[in-house]
Amino acid sequence: MRLLRGVYEGPGSHGILRVAASMRGVHAVLRALPGEGYFPALYGARERTGRAAPVTLSPVWEKPQDSWGPGDLTRDLSSVVRHHPEIEAVILARSEAALLSGEEAPAVALPEAGGRSPTLVTCDWEAPGVGEVEAANLALEGLVRAYSRGRSERSPSPTVNLFGPPVFGPGAAAEYAEAERLLALVGVEINARVPLGASVGDLSLLSQAWVNVLLYREVGESATLYLQDEFGTQRVTTPMVGAAGTGAALRTIGELCHLDPKRVQRAIWAELARTARLPWYARLGRPETFRERRVAIFGDFTYPLGLGYALSREVGLEVAACGTYLRHLERDFLFHAHTFTDQAFVEDDPEEVATRIEASDPDLVVGTHLEEGVADSLDIPFLPLCPPAYHSPFVEQPLMGYAGSSVLADALDKALSQPEEEPAAAELTAMPWTEEAREELAETPPFLRGRARRVAEERARELGSGEVTREIFLRSRR
Amino acid sequence: MTILNEAGPPDILSPLHAVNGLAERLPGALVVVVGTRAEAHIAQSLPAAPAPDLPRSPRSTRVALVVLDPAEAPQQGRVATSVIEAAAGLRGTGFVLLVVGRSAQLLGVDADFEARLTSRRLDLPTAAVNPDAPYDAPGTLSTDLEDRALAALVGVCPKRRTSDLLETASPTQKRAHRFGGFLGRGRNETRSGRTRPVVLLGGLASPGAAGELAAELERAGVEVVGRVPATTMRELPSLGEGTVVAVVDPNLTAAARAAEERGARVVKTLTPVGVDGTARFIHDVTAEAGERANELARARSVWESLETLRNRVRGKRIFFAGDTGLEVPLARFLADAGAVVLEVGAPRLDRRALAEELQALGPDVDVVQSPDWRGQMARIDAARPDVVVVSPGLHVPLVARGHLCRSPQDFLGAGVYGYGGARRILELLVRTFERAEALDSVNL
Repeated sequence: MRLLRGVYEGPGSHGILRVAASMRGVHAVLRALPGEGYFPALYGARERTGRAAPVTLSPVWEKPQDSWGPGDLTRDLSSVVRHHPEIEAVILARSEAALLSGEEAPAVALPEAGGRSPTLVTCDWEAPGVGEVEAANLALEGLVRAYSRGRSERSPSPTVNLFGPPVFGPGAAAEYAEAERLLALVGVEINARVPLGASVGDLSLLSQAWVNVLLYREVGESATLYLQDEFGTQRVTTPMVGAAGTGAALRTIGELCHLDPKRVQRAIWAELARTARLPWYARLGRPETFRERRVAIFGDFTYPLGLGYALSREVGLEVAACGTYLRHLERDFLFHAHTFTDQAFVEDDPEEVATRIEASDPDLVVGTHLEEGVADSLDIPFLPLCPPAYHSPFVEQPLMGYAGSSVLADALDKALSQPEEEPAAAELTAMPWTEEAREELAETPPFLRGRARRVAEERARELGSGEVTREIFLRSRR
Repeated sequence: MTILNEAGPPDILSPLHAVNGLAERLPGALVVVVGTRAEAHIAQSLPAAPAPDLPRSPRSTRVALVVLDPAEAPQQGRVATSVIEAAAGLRGTGFVLLVVGRSAQLLGVDADFEARLTSRRLDLPTAAVNPDAPYDAPGTLSTDLEDRALAALVGVCPKRRTSDLLETASPTQKRAHRFGGFLGRGRNETRSGRTRPVVLLGGLASPGAAGELAAELERAGVEVVGRVPATTMRELPSLGEGTVVAVVDPNLTAAARAAEERGARVVKTLTPVGVDGTARFIHDVTAEAGERANELARARSVWESLETLRNRVRGKRIFFAGDTGLEVPLARFLADAGAVVLEVGAPRLDRRALAEELQALGPDVDVVQSPDWRGQMARIDAARPDVVVVSPGLHVPLVARGHLCRSPQDFLGAGVYGYGGARRILELLVRTFERAEALDSVNL
């Protein structure tokens, strides 16, 4: 049991719903308490596509015997099929409350609708405590297993499957589009985009592809491992973040697709000349802009690792700390992150993350929306480049690929080009604190501590005091 | 009026969305959500008043999340320890609300014990509410958590003493009000003791409108001794035998029951939404308090002042999808104002609590109990209403289909109660129509 000021991930059911809502022809039935049906509201607000969330709530409640209201799971599943004759797969998600209540995955066959019988994917691996991202990963694997039966003939020309982020991923559609654009430049076609926009029919043709490209490893890991084991389809897992990462991924894809390496390199050079602005930004900037500038990065898996590589190697920033909240990917994450920082960590308590970031004494924070507070308290720039992010713009921008590297260059330019202010004379001298004041400061949540300290010291100077006393500290917080 | 039970899955917002709003609007409250990651995620993800344009960070600093490990039952008292830890970082906390849902209970959290322990250790009033507890009537409303929070607040109101009753019964005794008067202005001292004290219950999302309503009641000659929720915890009124409780929302059944259990008289009347609803509310509350008020002239004059706005709304066809439960009184008022109400969705229809409202709704309005959201969308498409007052999950899909939509939370936020609220409801609708007309006129 923990006291948290926020959570980075939702429950497992939320991850399943995100995968279902990403795809065409898939409908999710959420077995949950009547008050747990919040996905449609979030979906409407975040996606703003006009499509109704393909989710139906099957409430867990003690309904009267004679009631025809929803709540009988078998009947609710049938009702979904009847009401949505276009669906080809129904995926069942159970909320944590439902799982704790002992809800079992039912062994029922769905009725026919529109002349065909949709498949029911029950997610019988669900258990309380499985997080949103891990559940999304397993749900996608379940759907892929259900539909990619039997090996299809490999496509005559090189094709790849793109395994990217599901809905609610910041700029998810733009990430797929950028990868698709770059692959077209090197002469590779897309066999399927999974899960965003994929249909059940696309899943059945996954084995036609030559390579599976994992844009977002968090969600595509298990499905692509299954495809590798079952059909021998090789995987490219290099994060396509930054110019170097993108180039490395393209070269590997080219190799696996037996492309002419010169053609791939020509395409990469052309992009480096025309589109990719991160290397250009790094060369144009004054060395003083980057020298001894420290960045703390925190997020899921792909983005912090990709950004860590790009910021440390391509830009020359010092990665003072890099962390993830995905505990189930701890080993892999630490292995990769230790290649560019000594301070790699895994933590899912925002307070602890704030403490780690604060301790790393960064000049820039790149993180999720929950890190905005610590950047604010340290009075340093913040870039919300890692999921989860609340911001959902109408015009999405990629962070992956060469276009994404330019987006990153712009963001860094804005964040790092702020003139360094000469510290005020008074601030040059560290303000002493009394022991009682220090104890009070220790009671302040870490993410507010930096700001509280600064405000208290300013207050002490205003009052002409040579030290911060408990009274001054308390008064400064009013 | 026809009531059809569609027995479908309605689209309603999770009641847990309200924790941020509660933390902001209940002064000095620390709201602690105790549950698994699921409850924490809902509380964090949904803002107080969800709309298609979600704010970036809806989380209130007065909301704490105690996230339980599903694999390990928490030891007794550990939740209280966490709450104390959360309270330590906050100043000015006067009330702790523990939101302990079914997951926490399944994991063995004894909510009442933890609340008692927290209260003893912090020396603060603490109450536990279960957002998942069923109501007498089946169904869920997005305002259910507010109802339970208000019920908890009723529980921490000072009890009315027998001596207070004696004072009320004796017209010769005059006393200064304990809190110096709810509205903070000169009280007619001769009135004090002549009528029973009135407490206004509800209006959490529309505090300004509830304040106006209190002023209307005072004008009608009764003593409004306070409101639940109050501006500060110290201003919570005494509540008990002899107190008249005027509930501003008929769906606040848990809060009303809590007041009744304290011996207060809960007035069952129309919701003070719209002109006639407000007039009837004031009439019935003042009557229960021992005063006689004739609101006919006042109501007539308000209707006259609204004539211009009514002209803009008259004949407009309105569809209420249902979410907060206030759709029924809103529909009643708008039908009175000349609009054509096509359908009112009621995710939960407690006929006993809504008896007065249903009676006043008029014969031409269809109420659909437990509406199926898919059926609603089909009916909306078929009927092409001028405006749909719609739950958050259907908002964007319906706008995408060309429907003009408003959120029920918009009405609550604008302040629906009282005569002033009647004007604001009509103004909100007129603004909606005007903006739509302006956008329609743009040559794209």
